[in-house]
Amino acid sequence: MDELDKLKKEWQSRELDLPKMSYNDIYKMLLKKSSSIVKWIFIISLGELVFWLSLYFVIPDDNMKLMHDMGIGPFMYYTNIIHFIVFGTFIIFFYKNYRAIQVTDNTKKLMSNILKTRRTVRYFVIYNVGMFVLSSIFIDSFFYSNSNKLYKVMDFASKGVPQENFANVFIITQVLVGVAVIGLLILFYWLIYGILLKRLKSNYKELQKMDY
Amino acid sequence: MNKELEHRFVTQLEENQNIVHKICRLYTHDQDSHNDLFQEITIQLWRAFPKFRGDSKFSTWMYRVALNTAITLYRKSKRQINTQDYESISFKIKAEEYDDTTEQQLKLMYVAVKKLNDIDKALVFLYLEDKSYKEISATLGISEVNARVKMNRAKDKLRKILNP
Repeated sequence: MDELDKLKKEWQSRELDLPKMSYNDIYKMLLKKSSSIVKWIFIISLGELVFWLSLYFVIPDDNMKLMHDMGIGPFMYYTNIIHFIVFGTFIIFFYKNYRAIQVTDNTKKLMSNILKTRRTVRYFVIYNVGMFVLSSIFIDSFFYSNSNKLYKVMDFASKGVPQENFANVFIITQVLVGVAVIGLLILFYWLIYGILLKRLKSNYKELQKMDY
Repeated sequence: MNKELEHRFVTQLEENQNIVHKICRLYTHDQDSHNDLFQEITIQLWRAFPKFRGDSKFSTWMYRVALNTAITLYRKSKRQINTQDYESISFKIKAEEYDDTTEQQLKLMYVAVKKLNDIDKALVFLYLEDKSYKEISATLGISEVNARVKMNRAKDKLRKILNP
């Protein structure tokens, strides 16, 4: 018999000097709140869903009016409808995946379900960032090619903005702001999920490796 | 909340708490984290308890939920293995005779198991607890053949740590 098996026998015949919780200690724990990563993923994901949804409600009326005056009101209207349908689908998927997480599943399945939930939200974010980039490109280039109209609609003349170079300054500002926003978002996700999921991901990989 | 269910749960967990403590010992490095993990496992067990149908033993069911919590759900603090670990572990001996060498070997093995990665640790722990390969593979979600192969590799790793 090998050394480890000998030790295995000992392991079972002896007991570690373990702490002992009383009935009341355990009872009190039932009232405490969980701090598992699933709970955090759920809270953060909800935050993300609410954040992106609310963006569409806090856009100032001026902005919509500007779109109308520029002649792309109906276009924006229909894109928003499609947007909300996609949002709804994502939320249904997220909820379904979240419900599928069961601590009584085997370890591999549990991990895979957690990562799946996370992936849904990640796709949701990618979709949003992607749409943000696409619509920025579309609107900015549209505004750029119609800069004279924009200058009139926004009534920049009365605000003392010179028309000369206006289009260039406008487009550069838009691009810089856009890049900064996306940069911040990426940093934010990288920080939050990097910290939260690092261990889970590496354990999942380890387990996957085991099964090949 | 159902009082009778609560009572049944707490009583069973109190009886079987050693399993949870052993897992906490393996996956944490100080008393505070040990207690944190114990609490999280208790919460997870309690949440899953209404669905526990009793078609398996309570302890068998516990291994799965407790290990899942330790490996997957628990957010580990950054603290690293400290050397106190080795000193603080003592094994209660049920048998009368005291065997110093075996005691020493057990201690060393315990430290060695703690050095393994989270998954290997679970594998070796279940093995030491005398679980069948069928049960080990069902708990972790890998095939039985692979559980055997990987167990042998984990044993090799342990041997290397024990006899460098």
